[in-house]
Amino acid sequence: MIVDILIDGLIKGSVYALLAIGFSLVLGVARIVNIAHTALYMTSAYLIYVGTKMMGLPTIVSMVAAVFLTILLGLLIYNYFIRPIQEHEAAMLISTIAVAMMLQEVFLMIFGGHYLGVNPLVRGYLTVLGVRVTNQHLLALGLAIIVLISTRFFLMKTRTGLAIRATAQDREVANLMGMNVNGVAMITMAVSVGLASIAGAIVVPLVTVEPTMWMHPLVMMLAIVVLGGLGSLEGSFVGAYILGFSESLVVFMVPMGSFLKDSVALSIMILVLLIRPEGLFGVSFEEER
Amino acid sequence: MLLDVSNLTVCYDRAMLINDVSLYVEEGEMVSLVGPNGAGKSTLLRAITGLVAWDKMTLKGTAEGDITLKGNIVFDGKDISKTPAHEIVRRGLVHCPERRRPFKEMTVRENLMSGAYLHMKKWDVQQELEKVFKLFPVLGDRLNQVSGTLSGGEQQMLAVGRALMSRPKLLLIDEPSTGLAPLMRKEVFNKILEIKNLGITIMLVEQEVASVFSMASRSYVLSSGKIIAQGKCSELLEDEMIRRTYLGL
Ligand SMILES: Nc1ncnc2c1ncn2[C@@H]1O[C@H](COP(=O)(O)OP(=O)(O)OP(=O)(O)O)[C@@H](O)[C@H]1O
Ligand SMILES: [Mg+2]
Repeated sequence: MIVDILIDGLIKGSVYALLAIGFSLVLGVARIVNIAHTALYMTSAYLIYVGTKMMGLPTIVSMVAAVFLTILLGLLIYNYFIRPIQEHEAAMLISTIAVAMMLQEVFLMIFGGHYLGVNPLVRGYLTVLGVRVTNQHLLALGLAIIVLISTRFFLMKTRTGLAIRATAQDREVANLMGMNVNGVAMITMAVSVGLASIAGAIVVPLVTVEPTMWMHPLVMMLAIVVLGGLGSLEGSFVGAYILGFSESLVVFMVPMGSFLKDSVALSIMILVLLIRPEGLFGVSFEEER
Repeated sequence: MLLDVSNLTVCYDRAMLINDVSLYVEEGEMVSLVGPNGAGKSTLLRAITGLVAWDKMTLKGTAEGDITLKGNIVFDGKDISKTPAHEIVRRGLVHCPERRRPFKEMTVRENLMSGAYLHMKKWDVQQELEKVFKLFPVLGDRLNQVSGTLSGGEQQMLAVGRALMSRPKLLLIDEPSTGLAPLMRKEVFNKILEIKNLGITIMLVEQEVASVFSMASRSYVLSSGKIIAQGKCSELLEDEMIRRTYLGL
Protein backbone atom coordinates (compact mmCIF):
# COMPACT_ATOMS: atom_id res chain seq x y z
CA MET A 1 0.00 0.00 0.00
CA ILE A 2 2.70 2.50 0.92
CA VAL A 3 4.56 1.78 -2.28
CA ASP A 4 1.32 2.14 -4.23
CA ILE A 5 0.65 5.49 -2.64
CA LEU A 6 4.22 6.60 -3.21
CA ILE A 7 4.26 5.72 -6.90
CA ASP A 8 0.76 6.99 -7.54
CA GLY A 9 1.41 10.20 -5.60
CA LEU A 10 4.66 10.80 -7.48
CA ILE A 11 2.99 10.32 -10.85
CA LYS A 12 0.00 12.50 -9.95
CA GLY A 13 2.27 15.13 -8.44
CA SER A 14 4.50 15.20 -11.51
CA VAL A 15 1.59 15.46 -13.91
CA TYR A 16 -0.02 18.21 -11.85
CA ALA A 17 3.35 19.95 -11.73
CA LEU A 18 3.52 19.88 -15.54
CA LEU A 19 0.03 21.35 -15.74
CA ALA A 20 0.45 23.93 -12.99
CA ILE A 21 3.84 25.16 -14.18
CA GLY A 22 2.53 25.69 -17.70
CA PHE A 23 -0.49 27.51 -16.35
CA SER A 24 1.66 29.70 -14.08
CA LEU A 25 4.01 30.55 -16.92
CA VAL A 26 1.37 32.20 -19.10
CA LEU A 27 -0.25 33.71 -16.05
CA GLY A 28 3.05 35.32 -15.10
CA VAL A 29 4.23 36.39 -18.54
CA ALA A 30 1.00 37.44 -20.23
CA ARG A 31 -1.42 37.78 -17.29
CA ILE A 32 -3.61 35.15 -18.93
CA VAL A 33 -5.76 32.97 -16.70
CA ASN A 34 -6.12 30.13 -19.15
CA ILE A 35 -9.05 28.03 -17.96
CA ALA A 36 -8.81 26.08 -21.22
CA HIS A 37 -5.39 24.81 -20.15
CA THR A 38 -6.57 21.36 -19.06
CA ALA A 39 -8.98 21.18 -21.98
CA LEU A 40 -5.87 21.26 -24.16
CA TYR A 41 -4.45 18.44 -22.04
CA MET A 42 -7.63 16.54 -22.90
CA THR A 43 -7.23 17.45 -26.58
CA SER A 44 -3.82 15.85 -26.62
CA ALA A 45 -5.26 12.69 -25.04
CA TYR A 46 -8.04 12.49 -27.65
CA LEU A 47 -5.61 13.08 -30.49
CA ILE A 48 -3.48 10.19 -29.26
CA TYR A 49 -6.59 8.03 -29.12
CA VAL A 50 -7.38 9.00 -32.71
CA GLY A 51 -3.83 8.30 -33.80
CA THR A 52 -3.47 4.91 -32.16
CA LYS A 53 -6.97 3.45 -32.24
CA MET A 54 -8.54 5.01 -35.30
CA MET A 55 -5.60 5.55 -37.62
CA GLY A 56 -3.49 2.68 -36.37
CA LEU A 57 -0.33 4.75 -36.00
CA PRO A 58 2.40 3.68 -33.59
CA THR A 59 1.84 5.15 -30.13
CA ILE A 60 5.04 7.19 -30.11
CA VAL A 61 4.24 8.76 -33.47
CA SER A 62 0.71 9.59 -32.31
CA MET A 63 2.05 11.17 -29.15
CA VAL A 64 4.55 13.41 -30.89
CA ALA A 65 1.98 14.41 -33.50
CA ALA A 66 -0.62 15.07 -30.79
CA VAL A 67 1.73 17.33 -28.86
CA PHE A 68 2.52 19.39 -31.95
CA LEU A 69 -1.10 19.62 -33.08
CA THR A 70 -2.19 20.65 -29.61
CA ILE A 71 0.43 23.39 -29.48
CA LEU A 72 -0.79 24.60 -32.85
CA LEU A 73 -4.38 24.63 -31.61
CA GLY A 74 -3.28 26.43 -28.44
CA LEU A 75 -1.57 29.14 -30.48
CA LEU A 76 -4.64 29.57 -32.67
CA ILE A 77 -6.80 29.91 -29.58
CA TYR A 78 -4.33 32.40 -28.14
CA ASN A 79 -4.33 34.44 -31.30
CA TYR A 80 -8.07 34.55 -31.93
CA PHE A 81 -9.75 34.13 -28.55
CA ILE A 82 -7.30 35.57 -26.03
CA ARG A 83 -4.96 38.12 -27.54
CA PRO A 84 -7.61 40.52 -28.87
CA ILE A 85 -9.05 40.91 -25.36
CA GLN A 86 -5.92 40.33 -23.34
CA GLU A 87 -6.18 43.54 -21.33
CA HIS A 88 -9.81 42.93 -20.34
CA GLU A 89 -9.34 40.45 -17.54
CA ALA A 90 -12.95 39.41 -17.11
CA ALA A 91 -13.58 38.98 -20.82
CA MET A 92 -10.43 36.92 -21.17
CA LEU A 93 -11.45 34.65 -18.32
CA ILE A 94 -14.87 34.10 -19.82
CA SER A 95 -13.38 33.54 -23.24
CA THR A 96 -11.06 30.78 -22.01
CA ILE A 97 -13.93 29.11 -20.13
CA ALA A 98 -15.91 29.21 -23.37
CA VAL A 99 -13.03 27.62 -25.26
CA ALA A 100 -12.83 24.81 -22.69
CA MET A 101 -16.57 24.14 -22.93
CA MET A 102 -16.39 24.25 -26.70
CA LEU A 103 -13.65 21.62 -26.77
CA GLN A 104 -15.66 19.46 -24.39
CA GLU A 105 -18.74 19.71 -26.61
CA VAL A 106 -16.75 19.03 -29.76
CA PHE A 107 -15.31 15.83 -28.30
CA LEU A 108 -18.72 14.82 -26.97
CA MET A 109 -20.20 15.31 -30.42
CA ILE A 110 -17.48 13.37 -32.24
CA PHE A 111 -16.77 10.56 -29.80
CA GLY A 112 -19.87 10.48 -27.59
CA GLY A 113 -19.53 10.25 -23.84
CA HIS A 114 -17.80 6.86 -23.99
CA TYR A 115 -14.88 5.93 -21.81
CA LEU A 116 -12.06 5.38 -24.26
CA GLY A 117 -8.63 3.99 -23.64
CA VAL A 118 -5.19 3.91 -25.21
CA ASN A 119 -2.87 0.92 -25.07
CA PRO A 120 0.16 1.24 -22.84
CA LEU A 121 3.44 2.11 -24.48
CA VAL A 122 5.22 -0.66 -22.61
CA ARG A 123 3.86 -3.80 -21.01
CA GLY A 124 4.93 -5.85 -18.03
CA TYR A 125 5.66 -4.87 -14.49
CA LEU A 126 8.37 -4.61 -11.90
CA THR A 127 8.12 -5.75 -8.32
CA VAL A 128 9.11 -2.98 -5.95
CA LEU A 129 9.26 -4.03 -2.29
CA GLY A 130 6.79 -6.79 -2.98
CA VAL A 131 4.36 -4.57 -4.85
CA ARG A 132 3.69 -4.85 -8.54
CA VAL A 133 4.23 -1.60 -10.39
CA THR A 134 3.54 -1.59 -14.11
CA ASN A 135 6.33 -0.48 -16.38
CA GLN A 136 3.90 1.99 -17.90
CA HIS A 137 3.58 3.76 -14.54
CA LEU A 138 7.34 3.91 -14.15
CA LEU A 139 7.75 5.20 -17.68
CA ALA A 140 5.15 7.89 -17.05
CA LEU A 141 6.96 8.95 -13.91
CA GLY A 142 10.35 9.01 -15.61
CA LEU A 143 9.08 11.01 -18.57
CA ALA A 144 7.33 13.55 -16.37
CA ILE A 145 10.45 14.11 -14.32
CA ILE A 146 12.64 14.45 -17.41
CA VAL A 147 10.28 17.04 -18.86
CA LEU A 148 10.18 18.95 -15.58
CA ILE A 149 13.96 19.06 -15.41
CA SER A 150 14.23 20.15 -19.05
CA THR A 151 11.73 22.91 -18.44
CA ARG A 152 13.77 24.19 -15.54
CA PHE A 153 16.90 24.09 -17.64
CA PHE A 154 15.14 25.97 -20.44
CA LEU A 155 13.93 28.69 -18.11
CA MET A 156 17.13 29.14 -16.12
CA LYS A 157 19.87 28.59 -18.67
CA THR A 158 18.71 29.76 -22.07
CA ARG A 159 18.37 33.20 -23.57
CA THR A 160 14.68 32.69 -24.29
CA GLY A 161 14.16 31.44 -20.74
CA LEU A 162 15.73 34.64 -19.47
CA ALA A 163 13.35 36.70 -21.59
CA ILE A 164 10.39 34.72 -20.27
CA ARG A 165 11.39 35.29 -16.66
CA ALA A 166 12.17 38.94 -17.26
CA THR A 167 8.83 39.52 -18.95
CA ALA A 168 7.01 37.80 -16.09
CA GLN A 169 8.67 40.10 -13.57
CA ASP A 170 8.34 43.42 -15.36
CA ARG A 171 6.91 43.60 -18.85
CA GLU A 172 7.86 47.20 -19.37
CA VAL A 173 11.49 46.85 -18.34
CA ALA A 174 11.74 43.68 -20.43
CA ASN A 175 10.76 45.89 -23.35
CA LEU A 176 13.58 48.27 -22.45
CA MET A 177 16.03 45.37 -22.59
CA GLY A 178 15.08 44.80 -26.21
CA MET A 179 12.86 41.81 -25.54
CA ASN A 180 9.91 41.60 -27.87
CA VAL A 181 7.30 41.13 -25.18
CA ASN A 182 4.54 40.00 -27.55
CA GLY A 183 6.82 37.45 -29.11
CA VAL A 184 7.86 36.24 -25.68
CA ALA A 185 4.19 35.85 -24.73
CA MET A 186 3.62 33.76 -27.85
CA ILE A 187 6.57 31.50 -27.09
CA THR A 188 5.43 31.16 -23.49
CA MET A 189 1.97 30.14 -24.65
CA ALA A 190 3.53 27.48 -26.88
CA VAL A 191 5.66 26.17 -24.02
CA SER A 192 2.69 26.18 -21.68
CA VAL A 193 0.41 24.30 -24.05
CA GLY A 194 3.31 22.01 -24.87
CA LEU A 195 3.61 21.07 -21.20
CA ALA A 196 -0.14 20.46 -20.96
CA SER A 197 -0.16 18.25 -24.01
CA ILE A 198 2.88 16.32 -22.82
CA ALA A 199 1.06 15.79 -19.53
CA GLY A 200 -1.87 14.48 -21.56
CA ALA A 201 0.41 12.15 -23.49
CA ILE A 202 2.02 10.87 -20.32
CA VAL A 203 -1.23 10.01 -18.56
CA VAL A 204 -3.28 8.85 -21.52
CA PRO A 205 -2.36 5.15 -21.15
CA LEU A 206 -3.23 5.30 -17.44
CA VAL A 207 -6.61 7.03 -17.50
CA THR A 208 -9.88 6.88 -19.35
CA VAL A 209 -10.36 9.39 -22.13
CA GLU A 210 -13.76 11.10 -21.96
CA PRO A 211 -15.14 14.59 -22.59
CA THR A 212 -15.09 15.78 -18.98
CA MET A 213 -11.61 14.52 -18.15
CA TRP A 214 -10.37 18.13 -18.06
CA MET A 215 -12.44 19.14 -15.04
CA HIS A 216 -10.77 17.33 -12.19
CA PRO A 217 -7.25 18.34 -13.28
CA LEU A 218 -8.49 21.91 -13.66
CA VAL A 219 -9.74 22.03 -10.07
CA MET A 220 -6.51 20.46 -8.84
CA MET A 221 -4.36 22.78 -10.94
CA LEU A 222 -6.12 25.91 -9.75
CA ALA A 223 -5.87 24.74 -6.15
CA ILE A 224 -2.15 24.05 -6.65
CA VAL A 225 -1.46 27.42 -8.20
CA VAL A 226 -3.24 29.26 -5.41
CA LEU A 227 -1.65 27.04 -2.78
CA GLY A 228 1.84 27.58 -4.18
CA GLY A 229 1.37 31.31 -4.59
CA LEU A 230 0.11 32.86 -7.82
CA GLY A 231 2.84 33.17 -10.38
CA SER A 232 5.47 31.24 -8.42
CA LEU A 233 6.89 28.29 -10.34
CA GLU A 234 8.51 26.76 -7.25
CA GLY A 235 5.17 27.10 -5.53
CA SER A 236 3.42 25.32 -8.37
CA PHE A 237 5.98 22.54 -8.23
CA VAL A 238 5.77 21.98 -4.47
CA GLY A 239 2.00 22.48 -4.38
CA ALA A 240 1.59 19.89 -7.13
CA TYR A 241 3.32 17.18 -5.10
CA ILE A 242 1.46 18.12 -1.90
CA LEU A 243 -1.91 17.81 -3.60
CA GLY A 244 -0.81 14.85 -5.72
CA PHE A 245 0.13 12.87 -2.64
CA SER A 246 -2.93 13.93 -0.68
CA GLU A 247 -5.09 12.78 -3.58
CA SER A 248 -3.42 9.36 -3.64
CA LEU A 249 -3.74 9.09 0.12
CA VAL A 250 -7.46 9.75 -0.08
CA VAL A 251 -7.95 7.37 -2.98
CA PHE A 252 -6.01 4.53 -1.38
CA MET A 253 -6.84 5.00 2.31
CA VAL A 254 -10.50 5.94 2.28
CA PRO A 255 -12.60 3.04 1.01
CA MET A 256 -14.79 4.23 -1.88
CA GLY A 257 -13.45 7.67 -1.06
CA SER A 258 -12.21 8.80 -4.43
CA PHE A 259 -15.18 11.17 -4.80
CA LEU A 260 -13.62 13.10 -1.90
CA LYS A 261 -10.42 13.93 -3.74
CA ASP A 262 -11.46 17.36 -4.99
CA SER A 263 -12.77 18.44 -1.64
CA VAL A 264 -9.65 17.30 0.18
CA ALA A 265 -7.47 19.23 -2.27
CA LEU A 266 -9.57 22.33 -1.87
CA SER A 267 -9.62 21.99 1.93
CA ILE A 268 -5.84 21.87 2.04
CA MET A 269 -5.73 24.93 -0.16
CA ILE A 270 -8.12 26.86 2.06
CA LEU A 271 -6.28 25.79 5.20
CA VAL A 272 -2.95 27.03 3.86
CA LEU A 273 -4.47 30.27 2.68
CA LEU A 274 -5.96 30.93 6.11
CA ILE A 275 -2.49 30.72 7.60
CA ARG A 276 -0.58 32.26 4.70
CA PRO A 277 -2.81 34.25 2.36
CA GLU A 278 -0.11 34.78 -0.28
CA GLY A 279 0.37 31.02 -0.69
CA LEU A 280 3.43 28.92 0.10
CA PHE A 281 5.89 30.70 -2.15
CA GLY A 282 3.88 33.76 -2.96
CA VAL A 283 5.27 37.23 -2.95
CA SER A 284 2.82 40.00 -2.36
CA PHE A 285 2.72 41.62 -5.77
CA GLU A 286 4.10 45.11 -5.99
CA GLU A 287 2.29 47.26 -8.48
CA GLU A 288 4.77 48.32 -11.11
CA ARG A 289 4.26 50.78 -13.86
CA MET B 1 22.62 65.78 -33.57
CA LEU B 2 22.20 62.43 -31.85
CA LEU B 3 18.64 62.91 -30.68
CA ASP B 4 16.19 65.38 -32.13
CA VAL B 5 12.69 65.53 -30.71
CA SER B 6 10.26 67.95 -32.27
CA ASN B 7 6.72 68.96 -31.32
CA LEU B 8 6.15 65.98 -29.08
CA THR B 9 2.72 65.83 -27.47
CA VAL B 10 1.43 63.10 -25.17
CA CYS B 11 -2.10 62.87 -23.77
CA TYR B 12 -3.36 60.17 -21.47
CA ASP B 13 -7.14 60.32 -21.50
CA ARG B 14 -7.28 64.00 -22.47
CA ALA B 15 -4.79 65.09 -19.80
CA MET B 16 -1.96 66.65 -21.76
CA LEU B 17 1.17 65.35 -20.04
CA ILE B 18 3.63 66.56 -22.68
CA ASN B 19 2.72 69.69 -24.54
CA ASP B 20 4.52 70.37 -27.81
CA VAL B 21 8.03 69.67 -26.55
CA SER B 22 11.11 70.00 -28.76
CA LEU B 23 14.60 69.20 -27.63
CA TYR B 24 17.89 67.89 -28.92
CA VAL B 25 21.01 66.19 -27.65
CA GLU B 26 24.41 66.48 -29.31
CA GLU B 27 26.80 63.60 -29.45
CA GLY B 28 29.14 63.45 -26.46
CA GLU B 29 27.38 65.95 -24.22
CA MET B 30 25.53 65.53 -20.98
CA VAL B 31 22.15 67.24 -20.95
CA SER B 32 19.92 67.45 -17.93
CA LEU B 33 16.17 67.64 -17.66
CA VAL B 34 14.80 69.12 -14.46
CA GLY B 35 11.44 70.22 -13.20
CA PRO B 36 9.00 69.80 -10.32
CA ASN B 37 7.24 66.54 -9.44
CA GLY B 38 4.61 65.68 -11.98
CA ALA B 39 6.12 67.93 -14.64
CA GLY B 40 6.20 65.07 -17.11
CA LYS B 41 9.92 64.29 -17.12
CA SER B 42 9.46 60.54 -16.91
CA THR B 43 6.63 60.63 -19.41
CA LEU B 44 8.90 62.48 -21.82
CA LEU B 45 11.57 59.78 -21.53
CA ARG B 46 8.92 57.08 -21.88
CA ALA B 47 7.65 58.73 -25.05
CA ILE B 48 11.15 58.94 -26.51
CA THR B 49 11.99 55.28 -25.89
CA GLY B 50 8.71 53.91 -27.18
CA LEU B 51 6.99 53.02 -23.92
CA VAL B 52 4.12 55.44 -24.44
CA ALA B 53 3.55 53.95 -27.88
CA TRP B 54 3.66 50.52 -26.29
CA ASP B 55 1.05 51.57 -23.70
CA LYS B 56 -1.04 52.91 -26.52
CA MET B 57 -0.86 49.63 -28.37
CA THR B 58 -1.42 47.26 -25.46
CA LEU B 59 -4.10 49.30 -23.70
CA LYS B 60 -6.07 49.97 -26.87
CA GLY B 61 -9.76 49.54 -26.17
CA THR B 62 -9.48 49.53 -22.38
CA ALA B 63 -10.49 52.24 -19.92
CA GLU B 64 -6.95 53.65 -19.84
CA GLY B 65 -6.47 53.18 -23.54
CA ASP B 66 -7.20 56.71 -24.75
CA ILE B 67 -3.64 57.80 -25.46
CA THR B 68 -2.46 60.38 -27.97
CA LEU B 69 1.14 60.49 -29.11
CA LYS B 70 2.27 63.03 -31.70
CA GLY B 71 5.55 64.43 -32.86
CA ASN B 72 8.82 63.46 -34.46
CA ILE B 73 11.71 61.69 -32.84
CA VAL B 74 14.91 61.29 -34.80
CA PHE B 75 17.74 59.29 -33.31
CA ASP B 76 21.11 58.93 -34.98
CA GLY B 77 19.71 60.17 -38.25
CA LYS B 78 16.69 57.86 -38.36
CA ASP B 79 13.05 58.51 -37.50
CA ILE B 80 12.15 56.30 -34.54
CA SER B 81 8.70 57.64 -33.75
CA LYS B 82 7.11 54.48 -35.22
CA THR B 83 9.77 52.07 -33.99
CA PRO B 84 8.68 49.68 -31.21
CA ALA B 85 10.44 50.04 -27.85
CA HIS B 86 12.37 46.80 -28.11
CA GLU B 87 13.81 47.84 -31.46
CA ILE B 88 14.79 51.30 -30.22
CA VAL B 89 17.21 49.72 -27.73
CA ARG B 90 18.97 48.00 -30.58
CA ARG B 91 19.74 51.37 -32.16
CA GLY B 92 21.62 52.39 -29.01
CA LEU B 93 19.02 54.56 -27.31
CA VAL B 94 18.81 53.06 -23.84
CA HIS B 95 16.47 54.05 -21.00
CA CYS B 96 17.37 53.43 -17.37
CA PRO B 97 13.93 53.76 -15.80
CA GLU B 98 12.69 55.62 -12.75
CA ARG B 99 12.78 53.69 -9.46
CA ARG B 100 15.60 51.47 -10.80
CA ARG B 101 13.35 48.48 -11.38
CA PRO B 102 15.80 45.61 -11.33
CA PHE B 103 14.29 42.17 -11.97
CA LYS B 104 14.02 41.57 -8.25
CA GLU B 105 13.82 37.80 -8.28
CA MET B 106 16.82 37.44 -10.55
CA THR B 107 20.45 37.49 -9.54
CA VAL B 108 22.73 40.39 -10.32
CA ARG B 109 24.32 38.36 -13.11
CA GLU B 110 20.96 37.53 -14.69
CA ASN B 111 19.95 41.18 -14.54
CA LEU B 112 23.12 42.19 -16.33
CA MET B 113 22.62 39.42 -18.87
CA SER B 114 19.14 40.66 -19.66
CA GLY B 115 20.71 44.00 -20.46
CA ALA B 116 22.87 42.19 -22.99
CA TYR B 117 19.89 40.25 -24.32
CA LEU B 118 20.12 41.67 -27.83
CA HIS B 119 23.82 41.14 -28.13
CA MET B 120 24.41 37.82 -26.44
CA LYS B 121 24.99 36.00 -29.69
CA LYS B 122 27.27 38.53 -31.28
CA TRP B 123 29.61 39.62 -28.55
CA ASP B 124 31.76 38.30 -25.87
CA VAL B 125 29.39 39.15 -23.04
CA GLN B 126 32.04 38.33 -20.46
CA GLN B 127 34.09 41.23 -21.75
CA GLU B 128 31.12 43.56 -21.38
CA LEU B 129 30.59 42.27 -17.85
CA GLU B 130 34.20 43.04 -16.98
CA LYS B 131 33.70 46.62 -18.16
CA VAL B 132 30.68 47.02 -15.92
CA PHE B 133 32.51 45.51 -12.95
CA LYS B 134 35.37 47.92 -13.45
CA LEU B 135 32.89 50.77 -13.09
CA PHE B 136 30.84 49.12 -10.34
CA PRO B 137 33.07 46.70 -8.43
CA VAL B 138 30.25 46.06 -5.97
CA LEU B 139 28.26 44.29 -8.71
CA GLY B 140 31.14 41.94 -9.33
CA ASP B 141 31.20 41.01 -5.66
CA ARG B 142 27.49 40.30 -5.55
CA LEU B 143 27.09 38.48 -8.80
CA ASN B 144 24.94 35.68 -7.46
CA GLN B 145 22.90 37.68 -4.98
CA VAL B 146 19.20 38.03 -5.72
CA SER B 147 18.83 41.65 -6.71
CA GLY B 148 15.73 42.30 -4.59
CA THR B 149 17.98 42.00 -1.54
CA LEU B 150 20.48 44.65 -2.70
CA SER B 151 20.52 48.04 -1.01
CA GLY B 152 18.95 50.99 -2.80
CA GLY B 153 22.33 52.29 -3.91
CA GLU B 154 23.42 48.89 -5.16
CA GLN B 155 20.15 48.51 -7.04
CA GLN B 156 20.80 51.84 -8.74
CA MET B 157 24.28 50.71 -9.75
CA LEU B 158 22.72 47.52 -11.07
CA ALA B 159 20.13 49.44 -13.07
CA VAL B 160 22.81 51.60 -14.66
CA GLY B 161 25.09 48.61 -15.18
CA ARG B 162 22.27 46.71 -16.85
CA ALA B 163 21.61 49.67 -19.15
CA LEU B 164 25.31 49.78 -20.05
CA MET B 165 25.17 46.12 -21.04
CA SER B 166 22.84 47.20 -23.87
CA ARG B 167 25.74 49.28 -25.25
CA PRO B 168 24.10 52.71 -25.36
CA LYS B 169 25.07 55.54 -27.63
CA LEU B 170 22.67 57.71 -25.69
CA LEU B 171 21.72 56.78 -22.15
CA LEU B 172 18.60 58.30 -20.59
CA ILE B 173 18.74 58.05 -16.80
CA ASP B 174 15.64 58.84 -14.77
CA GLU B 175 16.22 60.13 -11.23
CA PRO B 176 19.15 57.93 -10.17
CA SER B 177 19.66 59.69 -6.84
CA THR B 178 16.12 59.52 -5.48
CA GLY B 179 15.89 57.81 -2.12
CA LEU B 180 19.64 57.53 -1.59
CA ALA B 181 21.71 58.91 1.27
CA PRO B 182 23.88 61.96 0.43
CA LEU B 183 27.11 60.01 0.25
CA MET B 184 25.62 57.43 -2.09
CA ARG B 185 24.13 60.18 -4.26
CA LYS B 186 27.54 61.66 -4.72
CA GLU B 187 28.93 58.28 -5.64
CA VAL B 188 26.16 57.71 -8.19
CA PHE B 189 26.79 61.10 -9.77
CA ASN B 190 30.50 60.38 -9.93
CA LYS B 191 29.80 57.12 -11.73
CA ILE B 192 27.59 58.91 -14.22
CA LEU B 193 30.41 61.35 -14.93
CA GLU B 194 32.74 58.39 -15.47
CA ILE B 195 30.26 56.94 -17.94
CA LYS B 196 30.16 60.23 -19.79
CA ASN B 197 33.94 60.21 -19.92
CA LEU B 198 33.76 56.79 -21.57
CA GLY B 199 32.19 58.64 -24.48
CA ILE B 200 28.55 57.80 -23.84
CA THR B 201 26.11 60.65 -24.36
CA ILE B 202 23.80 61.15 -21.39
CA MET B 203 20.46 62.75 -20.72
CA LEU B 204 19.91 62.94 -17.00
CA VAL B 205 16.59 63.56 -15.27
CA GLU B 206 17.06 64.75 -11.72
CA GLN B 207 15.53 66.65 -8.82
CA GLU B 208 18.95 67.32 -7.36
CA VAL B 209 19.45 70.46 -9.42
CA ALA B 210 22.64 71.74 -7.83
CA SER B 211 24.61 68.55 -8.44
CA VAL B 212 23.30 68.02 -11.94
CA PHE B 213 23.98 71.55 -13.07
CA SER B 214 27.58 71.20 -12.02
CA MET B 215 27.95 68.16 -14.31
CA ALA B 216 25.75 68.87 -17.32
CA SER B 217 26.55 71.31 -20.07
CA ARG B 218 23.00 72.23 -20.96
CA SER B 219 19.65 71.79 -19.34
CA TYR B 220 15.95 71.82 -20.07
CA VAL B 221 13.44 72.93 -17.45
CA LEU B 222 10.10 71.20 -17.78
CA SER B 223 6.94 72.31 -16.02
CA SER B 224 3.39 71.06 -16.58
CA GLY B 225 4.49 69.29 -19.72
CA LYS B 226 6.10 72.34 -21.31
CA ILE B 227 9.70 73.34 -21.67
CA ILE B 228 9.79 76.71 -19.97
CA ALA B 229 13.52 77.31 -20.09
CA GLN B 230 16.58 75.85 -21.71
CA GLY B 231 20.19 76.67 -22.22
CA LYS B 232 23.60 76.48 -20.62
CA CYS B 233 23.32 75.55 -16.97
CA SER B 234 25.34 78.57 -15.90
CA GLU B 235 22.93 80.88 -17.73
CA LEU B 236 19.86 79.23 -16.26
CA LEU B 237 21.31 79.73 -12.81
CA GLU B 238 21.59 83.44 -13.44
CA ASP B 239 17.89 83.85 -14.16
CA GLU B 240 16.41 84.81 -10.80
CA MET B 241 12.83 83.85 -11.72
CA ILE B 242 13.80 80.38 -12.91
CA ARG B 243 16.09 79.86 -9.97
CA ARG B 244 13.40 80.52 -7.45
CA THR B 245 10.30 79.14 -9.13
CA TYR B 246 11.57 76.03 -10.81
CA LEU B 247 14.92 75.11 -9.43
CA GLY B 248 14.23 75.80 -5.76
CA LEU B 249 17.65 77.37 -5.27
N1 LIG C 1 -0.33 56.34 -17.33
C1 LIG C 1 -0.75 57.54 -16.93
N2 LIG C 1 -2.05 57.87 -17.00
C2 LIG C 1 -2.48 59.07 -16.60
N3 LIG C 1 -1.68 60.01 -16.07
C3 LIG C 1 -0.37 59.74 -15.97
C4 LIG C 1 0.16 58.51 -16.39
N4 LIG C 1 1.50 58.52 -16.16
C5 LIG C 1 1.77 59.72 -15.61
N5 LIG C 1 0.66 60.44 -15.49
C6 LIG C 1 0.58 61.83 -14.95
O1 LIG C 1 1.44 62.63 -15.72
C7 LIG C 1 2.05 63.62 -14.94
C8 LIG C 1 3.52 63.60 -15.18
O2 LIG C 1 4.06 62.39 -14.67
P1 LIG C 1 5.61 62.06 -14.73
O3 LIG C 1 5.82 60.79 -14.02
O4 LIG C 1 6.05 62.13 -16.14
O5 LIG C 1 6.24 63.26 -13.92
P2 LIG C 1 7.72 63.46 -13.45
O6 LIG C 1 8.13 64.80 -13.93
O7 LIG C 1 8.54 62.32 -13.85
O8 LIG C 1 7.55 63.50 -11.88
P3 LIG C 1 8.55 62.95 -10.74
O9 LIG C 1 9.61 63.97 -10.60
O10 LIG C 1 7.68 62.91 -9.54
O11 LIG C 1 9.04 61.64 -11.17
C9 LIG C 1 1.64 63.34 -13.51
O12 LIG C 1 0.64 64.27 -13.17
C10 LIG C 1 1.09 61.94 -13.55
O13 LIG C 1 0.06 61.80 -12.62
MG1 LIG D 1 9.53 60.86 -12.89
